[in-house]
Amino acid sequence: MSRAAHPDAMSPAEPGRTRTAPPQKPASWPSHPRMRVYTLFGWTGVLYLLIGFGLLETAWSLGQGEVVWDAKLASFSHPAYVAFHLLCLVSVVFVAVRFFRLFPKSQPARIGPAKPPPRPVILAGLYAVWLGVTALFVAILSGAIFS
Amino acid sequence: MKALLLRLEPLIWLLFGQGILIGTILLTGWLLVVGVLLPLGIVGTGADEALSYRRIYLLASTPVGRLVILALVALPLWKGAHHIRHLFIDHGGADHDAPIALSLYAIATAGSLAAIVAVIRL
Repeated sequence: MSRAAHPDAMSPAEPGRTRTAPPQKPASWPSHPRMRVYTLFGWTGVLYLLIGFGLLETAWSLGQGEVVWDAKLASFSHPAYVAFHLLCLVSVVFVAVRFFRLFPKSQPARIGPAKPPPRPVILAGLYAVWLGVTALFVAILSGAIFS
Repeated sequence: MKALLLRLEPLIWLLFGQGILIGTILLTGWLLVVGVLLPLGIVGTGADEALSYRRIYLLASTPVGRLVILALVALPLWKGAHHIRHLFIDHGGADHDAPIALSLYAIATAGSLAAIVAVIRL
């Protein structure tokens, strides 16, 4: 069972001008479905850290020459690597869907004279960019373009 | 240590936010290729095929290619480091937040610096 939240966990070094209530964990922590999804969102960080270092090794192997690069690509067909990449893919899609839903709500109502577009437009834009960049990336890496 | 973390908070949040947004957008295509298309044999690795060393090196060594690789490596590290820090806080690790946070950000910094070296080497 997890311990109670530390009341000073996120407090600034000096008290601000506005008094705020100390942070408290909800009574339903961590069994409420919303909390479970929130925690799962946090756990994707482990996979992002691992895939970041995996990509670093891949980029490094590209700089080491053809033999190392070919060995690296061959290792990607190992079942353990396939399982890891598929898990990362599921995790990345989960992060995208959750974050894109949150992003329009986090926009300020106004920046100077400019107002952000309506939330559905921002959401549609994010999905368009995501799908477009993914299609472009796959097309480049699969040799459909720039071959 | 906590004062230092608070001073760095805007930079850390910038890298974390871009890790979620840009990192996620870029990672999807990469994972589709190496996780699905490559094991299924749809994308080839032979001498004249899509993922051949010569072709990928040519693409990766362009300025845009280097930038994309740098973003693809470094931004997910910051997303990961910041989220793991908050997992520790949420699960009762707030008393040790400063050393844990500094360790995680040091790992992300080291990985980012190594990524810069990796793209310069190309």
